[in-house]
Amino acid sequence: MVKAGDGDVLSSQKLTITPIQAGYQALFFAMGSPCEIQIRSVLPPERSRQLLVDCYHEASRIEKKYSRYRCDNLVSQMNSATRVQVDEETHRLLDYADHCYRASSGLFDITSGVLRRFWRFDGNSTTLEPDESAIQDVLSCIGWDRVYWEAPWFQLPPQMEIDFGGIAKEYAVDRVALYLKDRDLDQILVNFGGDLAVYTSDSQRYEPWTVGIEQPHAHGQAAQSVSLYNGALATSGSTHRYCRINDRIYGHILNPKTGYPVEDAPLSVTTFSDTCTQAGMLSTFAMLHGRAAEPFLQAQQVPSWVIRP
Amino acid sequence: MQLITITDFSGVTSARKSNGFKQELTFATAALLGLSVAAPSVAEEPGPWKIETAGLVYSESDSRVSAFEPVVSAKKEFGEDRVFNAKLVLDSLTGATPTGALSSDNVQTFTRPSGQGSYTIQPDELPIDDTFKDTRVAFSAGWLQPLTSTLKGGVGVNVSAEHDFRSLGLNGNLSKDFNQRNTTLNLGLGFESDTINPEGGVPVAFAEMQPANSTPTRQAEDDDKTVVDTLIGITQVVNKRTLMQFNYSVSQADGYLTDPYKILSVIDDATGLLVSSTGVNRYTNLYENRPDKRTKQSVYWRTKYRFDRDMFDVSYRYLWDDWDIRSHTIDTRYQWRFAPNQYLEPHFRYYQQSEAEFYRPALLNSDVTNNTLPEFASADLRLADFSAITFGAKYAHRMASGSEWHLRLEWYQQSGESSPDGLVGAAKDQDVFPTLSSVIFQAGYAFEW
Amino acid sequence: MVKKYAAFLFALATCFSLVACATHVEPWEKGLLAKPDMALDANHIDEALDDHIYFSKEASSGGRSFGGGGCGCN
Repeated sequence: MVKAGDGDVLSSQKLTITPIQAGYQALFFAMGSPCEIQIRSVLPPERSRQLLVDCYHEASRIEKKYSRYRCDNLVSQMNSATRVQVDEETHRLLDYADHCYRASSGLFDITSGVLRRFWRFDGNSTTLEPDESAIQDVLSCIGWDRVYWEAPWFQLPPQMEIDFGGIAKEYAVDRVALYLKDRDLDQILVNFGGDLAVYTSDSQRYEPWTVGIEQPHAHGQAAQSVSLYNGALATSGSTHRYCRINDRIYGHILNPKTGYPVEDAPLSVTTFSDTCTQAGMLSTFAMLHGRAAEPFLQAQQVPSWVIRP
Repeated sequence: MQLITITDFSGVTSARKSNGFKQELTFATAALLGLSVAAPSVAEEPGPWKIETAGLVYSESDSRVSAFEPVVSAKKEFGEDRVFNAKLVLDSLTGATPTGALSSDNVQTFTRPSGQGSYTIQPDELPIDDTFKDTRVAFSAGWLQPLTSTLKGGVGVNVSAEHDFRSLGLNGNLSKDFNQRNTTLNLGLGFESDTINPEGGVPVAFAEMQPANSTPTRQAEDDDKTVVDTLIGITQVVNKRTLMQFNYSVSQADGYLTDPYKILSVIDDATGLLVSSTGVNRYTNLYENRPDKRTKQSVYWRTKYRFDRDMFDVSYRYLWDDWDIRSHTIDTRYQWRFAPNQYLEPHFRYYQQSEAEFYRPALLNSDVTNNTLPEFASADLRLADFSAITFGAKYAHRMASGSEWHLRLEWYQQSGESSPDGLVGAAKDQDVFPTLSSVIFQAGYAFEW
Repeated sequence: MVKKYAAFLFALATCFSLVACATHVEPWEKGLLAKPDMALDANHIDEALDDHIYFSKEASSGGRSFGGGGCGCN
């Protein structure tokens, strides 16, 4: 069984490919998460292995290009407050971030990563309140609307940062899944740290994929599972990434307008959609809706699983 | 352990149609991933009826014409980009329009178009016929559908009827996308057949208006005309905010193009005074005559620019015809979205035309007596030199239900030459083209059903 | 006659220069252009009502698209 939510399938930097029933499985570690790809097909073994290696390279490429922890990639260049000419892929990601910023009235903001300095979400309890005035200072370094973006030119105001973390992993899942979909495979599962996409070529002949939805405060134990042939699931938030300050639990979704975590947000939201990127964004939007997460998901008619403390 | 099986995704996909937010997100995600936007999973079921209703009131300041025009339009998508639309317009008109006759220092008596009864016009007032009360009903319907992945075709029909006029029109158009849908070529062809059945019959050209209750000089009960319209246009995506449209069109009208209710005054060559006729306060007035062919051509350019929220729309049309009319029209509007669900849209339009070659404010008596009248002549002010401006604004408000209502208020003003060429003596002192001002008010409501 | 052709040629020239100066816009960049208010017939009710008024008050009509429904308009 594959777990949705922040899974802990395997921790390995290297790629391992192993045969499974009627196919192959690849395991590796990328984008801060254990990653798993399963394919079932009648292709020759070396062909299947090659496809999985290609997928691993694609995931590594995206990680390398969009990681904010590197100082030799495009993102570090973009974060240097100089004018940067971006490539077509980044162009599309920025347009997507732009759309999401507007669609959420500014709540989804790829420049809000600087807020992480004040909040550590490791589930440990602490008694420290973040410094109010410091948060106010850093709010002035947030705001997608202040970014110069006129394709292909991109420039950040000084001291601002962008972070594709809210999109990149789900995007990588879709890129890999779309790559595999064109390769005459019978079944595909791409699961990067619980954000996943599945595909089945002919649902009459195969068993559906069964995916578990994680339950609060009991990670590792999937208490609810979902069967699906096609589509994607993505989770925002986490049942074990929160912080506890003076006995108050703060979820890990931050409101870029206040600098504080969104009030009364669920611990996690998992949604189903056609693509992992869209599922991820709907989950994030739901989290940003705070106590109105459920009505929001209902209005969008999105199959979803909301976990609250 | 609880097991939920998702096997039927139709609920998910059909929801996308009715939900703008998710639909836009799907669109954006598809763009990011390079997926085809019209995903095959999009529901085939028909969309809702999109209904737009509006009522317009048009009122001329000196209580000449006032009109009330309600309109209902309905549009429905039947999946795969096949669209049906229909529109019903009612137009109820009351008031008076200028007859073409000159004003004078004396009281003038005119016969009503039917030949029955007469009306008088006070000194220095522009002769207007106040018998106009008419209701027009117009209905149009169209069907549009893709023919190939880049070719769309549409057909339409329109009919209209009022007590003295009937019209039947058919049209077809094709649009072809090029250049990854950044360029669209449009071709249109329209055919219209009209029958005019004037009150009292079709007057003989340059026949004199007869005294009331005597037999008017008529050539026929009714007459007709046909109009063939062709349009070739191009729509171009200039950049991600700008759309440009360019059209060239030709309209050929054939048949009875004269206005059966319009007349010309006859003035004395030397004094410019109206020439008397038999009867009290009666003067000589002749029915107008226009060519039976008219070919209009126009070029039309339009640009729409989208700011992050606001929108700017500007267009220019240059029109010319073989009656020697040239006109320029500039139309601009700016949509100011000051709130997510509301906008205010100021509008400005400028129009200027030159007169038709056979326009004359009056006929000379010597031409009448010597039988040297021009082949065509009309004193219709719509064929004169004039310019017009329209300015106003529209306010629209979208409600939480998705319905939208709007209000629109505009002023329209025409001003022309008060004493154009062709007048002599006393006639020069008359104001041929008093400034026309009117107010247009419109309220509308659009909803899905 | 020459004047007529001149206008038409001018039209044609503008038409081509318009296409020439356009930058290529990718499908995913058309978010703003896809807004309902950018549709060329977004205002069709207002335009039809206005066209009817101007048709009955001025000597010009048409050009944008088909007139759709003649009238006596006296």
